[in-house]
Amino acid sequence: MTQGFGALGTDETLARPRQTVASVVGVARGRHLLGRDWASAWLFLAPCMLVLVGLIGYPFVSAILLSFQAKLVGSPGAWVGLQNYYDLLFGRDLSGAFFQSVRVSVLYTLVAQVLKLVLGMSMALLLHEQFRGRMFMRALFFIPWAVPTLIAGLTWKWMYDGTSVGLLNMLVLRLGVTNELVQWLGNYNLALWSVVVAVVWASTPFWAMMFLAGLQAIPGELYEAAEIDGADVFQRFRSITLPGLAPIIIITAMLSTIWTANSINFVYVLTGGGPANATMIFPLLAYQVGVAGAQRLGMGATISLFFFPVFLVLIYFLTKRMLAEEER
Amino acid sequence: MVALAMSRQRARLTKRVVLFGGLALFTLWTVLPLYWIVVTSIKPNLLIYREPQLIPSQVTADHYTFVLTRTPFLQYVKNSFTVTLVTTVLSSAIGTLAAYAITRLSFRGRAWVARAVVVTYLVPASLLFIPMFQVIHTLGLIDNVVGLMVTYLTFTVPFATWMMIGYFRSVPFELEDAALVDGCSRMQALVRIMLPLALPALAVVALFAFTLSWNEFLYALVFIGSDSQKTLTLGLIGLVRGDTFPWGPMMAASLLGALPPVLVYVVSQKWVVSGLAAGSVKG
Repeated sequence: MTQGFGALGTDETLARPRQTVASVVGVARGRHLLGRDWASAWLFLAPCMLVLVGLIGYPFVSAILLSFQAKLVGSPGAWVGLQNYYDLLFGRDLSGAFFQSVRVSVLYTLVAQVLKLVLGMSMALLLHEQFRGRMFMRALFFIPWAVPTLIAGLTWKWMYDGTSVGLLNMLVLRLGVTNELVQWLGNYNLALWSVVVAVVWASTPFWAMMFLAGLQAIPGELYEAAEIDGADVFQRFRSITLPGLAPIIIITAMLSTIWTANSINFVYVLTGGGPANATMIFPLLAYQVGVAGAQRLGMGATISLFFFPVFLVLIYFLTKRMLAEEER
Repeated sequence: MVALAMSRQRARLTKRVVLFGGLALFTLWTVLPLYWIVVTSIKPNLLIYREPQLIPSQVTADHYTFVLTRTPFLQYVKNSFTVTLVTTVLSSAIGTLAAYAITRLSFRGRAWVARAVVVTYLVPASLLFIPMFQVIHTLGLIDNVVGLMVTYLTFTVPFATWMMIGYFRSVPFELEDAALVDGCSRMQALVRIMLPLALPALAVVALFAFTLSWNEFLYALVFIGSDSQKTLTLGLIGLVRGDTFPWGPMMAASLLGALPPVLVYVVSQKWVVSGLAAGSVKG
């Protein structure tokens, strides 16, 4: 996997294709202003560009334009300047919910990512050891990630059931942890953490797989040498494993942050944002304001866009890493 | 010497305890929810609600029969397969063509195109779904699986292109040069030389495009309303009647719905990891 990243990272051919026999012929014909193969290139690229520009670029621009409009579905919008932004921050009906969603989103993403890092690392280190049935365990631990997130969410909702038929309530009662039924998703102070646990269950394997591939790329001799020098397990982890995995940890964390913060699946299924907005992450608020209910498209777009600068920074660094070598 | 050997032995023992203890905990953590899906789906309602049991004393196929015959579940599955198939085929083809141009052809702006592919892959759906609602509305594709096929291209095409770029670069130029010198056109070179070599890569791309589309929920939720057009993920939510969750049928449907991607992954685990390397799949 590191080789994967290496190859993607330092790619010379992406920036300038090697001189080939064909390209020498091309040079002889005289270099075109648009590049030697421009005609066939853009022909090959046409369908891809149609998707990129028409289905991603255009909606993105119209999201920005929408945020300056008061627009309901099916009606022509009215330009309102920065009114949506103002209402979101200071208006009476939305700013409370919006600031709550900011707080919840940050907590939710941060805690989930830290847990995934710790559990994913532990899982990877265990699966990297030599033992009988290792391939089987890898496949098994991998399954939660392959389960569609919506189905994982439904399953946890059922396990979190607040009556005595819910699995977790059955377990805590039988083990004598408490005498009362726990409202995993109904308790204001507990709901967010219950959602986080479900999210962590589903995506820890992704982190573990990334780390595992990274571990396999660290030369074993390094560990042997360190052992001879008398380094203990923790010292070896700190001075060999962690630095070796650093690039993968960074990429995984950035990718997963974008996906976790922007996915509504778990929250939608588990709590719908409740109780009393305790689990209202911002994409769900954008959905509720912009599409469900009143269908205030402009306001919904504004909510989504508010966080975009944060993701833009992540996207910038990720793109740079993934494309490392770029055209002058 | 003896002391050293003993401390070695103790260290090894500690390591074993940590290893197997850790594996046991992770196994419990992983398996418990999966177990609960399976067990709920085969328990009679009595053992789900009235006298809940951890290990059922009785099993039944009623929930499966109910889901398959009394709900539009099969329609949902059919819709999911249709959308997934079309999206997968289209994005594999589009991605292959684009990746070929980006890695093999010389033209001005190539680096920008490559950058655009990565950036568009990372732009989250949460930002696009509201304006996309307008686009699909304008196209008259609201509440129509065709609308989903179109929108799913927004995440499968950048991803397929990016994966194929990685693979095409690993194919030596010489193979293709020979064909070009022999008078093949670019298209012929792509189809006759590159494509056969890239077949395993194409399989991985198809695999991921399949799973991403199969699991998609947000766009389906926003665009689709009627049973005849619902995909599996959206249909599952629709099994809820009011505030009642019929957990037996829902877990049966969940199990059936999770089976295709889970089987695909268990079978092709090695390829999956190579796909992850491209930094390409949700986590």
